[in-house]
Amino acid sequence: MLLNFTIVIVSMISAISTFYLSEHRKQGAVRASALLSLIVGIIFYLLKDKISIEYYSQIPVAFIGASFVGMVSSRALKHFRLVGFAGFIFGIIYINSSHFFKGYGGALGTSASISIMVTMCVPIYLSKRKRLNGLILIRKWIFRDNRRRKKKND
Amino acid sequence: MIGLENYHNNKWQAIFFIVGISALLLIAYLKAPLHHHEHDVEDILVAIWVPIGAAVCYSLHIYLHLEIVIAAGITGTLASFLPNLNKKSDYLSKLPVAIYCGTFVGMSSINIAKNIGFIIAAGIFTGVLLLLSKNLFLGVGGKLGTLAFVGVTIASFLYYIFHI
Repeated sequence: MLLNFTIVIVSMISAISTFYLSEHRKQGAVRASALLSLIVGIIFYLLKDKISIEYYSQIPVAFIGASFVGMVSSRALKHFRLVGFAGFIFGIIYINSSHFFKGYGGALGTSASISIMVTMCVPIYLSKRKRLNGLILIRKWIFRDNRRRKKKND
Repeated sequence: MIGLENYHNNKWQAIFFIVGISALLLIAYLKAPLHHHEHDVEDILVAIWVPIGAAVCYSLHIYLHLEIVIAAGITGTLASFLPNLNKKSDYLSKLPVAIYCGTFVGMSSINIAKNIGFIIAAGIFTGVLLLLSKNLFLGVGGKLGTLAFVGVTIASFLYYIFHI
């Protein structure tokens, strides 16, 4: 349980830090992701004897996977909280990932793109203007039917 | 696959998971600004670097016995400094993306990728897909990983068919 919680937190931190380095520090997506993953990989390698094998094998992989989430352009996700949410979704997907895909190159990246696409529809759903517009259209549709029935009865 | 694995234990959770994720993906595909018409990676000479990146990452992991994350980090970091060789070069600025895409291919474990030939084949398929997908998934992190995953899957399928 603690491992799962740690993976989710690490995913969020990785996504946000990669996004920050890529977009705000203008280092580019590839350098941000690779450099941070390299640093984390080296740290965990140096602390190999002091960390349990579960954490040693999972955390760096989750970190590099979530850094793919952070590689997103600011045209797709504008705010840090959305990137953090995408990292959270990635953590959930990673914890529950099927053993069928274990060892497949790019499986992490696929999970990252799924979590970003899921996050991209959050602003659309939460947009008050579109939600209100949708409610107005439904109301018009309902009352249009009622007006037709009244005219037929008359 | 997650839904199928969990199906026998938690039927409604699996159905909810599959329907929920599929619906959100569909909404994002239809409504989100994913598509564009500028050409991003169209040169075959850029796509050639995908299998090269894959081979380098795989070699660092298997032959130098580095951890996979460190191997991918070294390959990606070195690739990201290539544009600094000539800052005016448009060609060099496209290389880090292709090489990092190859890195994801090279991250396949030895159970899936039994030799470097598999990795190079998967890298070639991924390079072709990178050329074809130039106007799709703009700005979506993980696009490179998705292409790598499809490339590795195609190579794995062909190896299975031809029993290599």
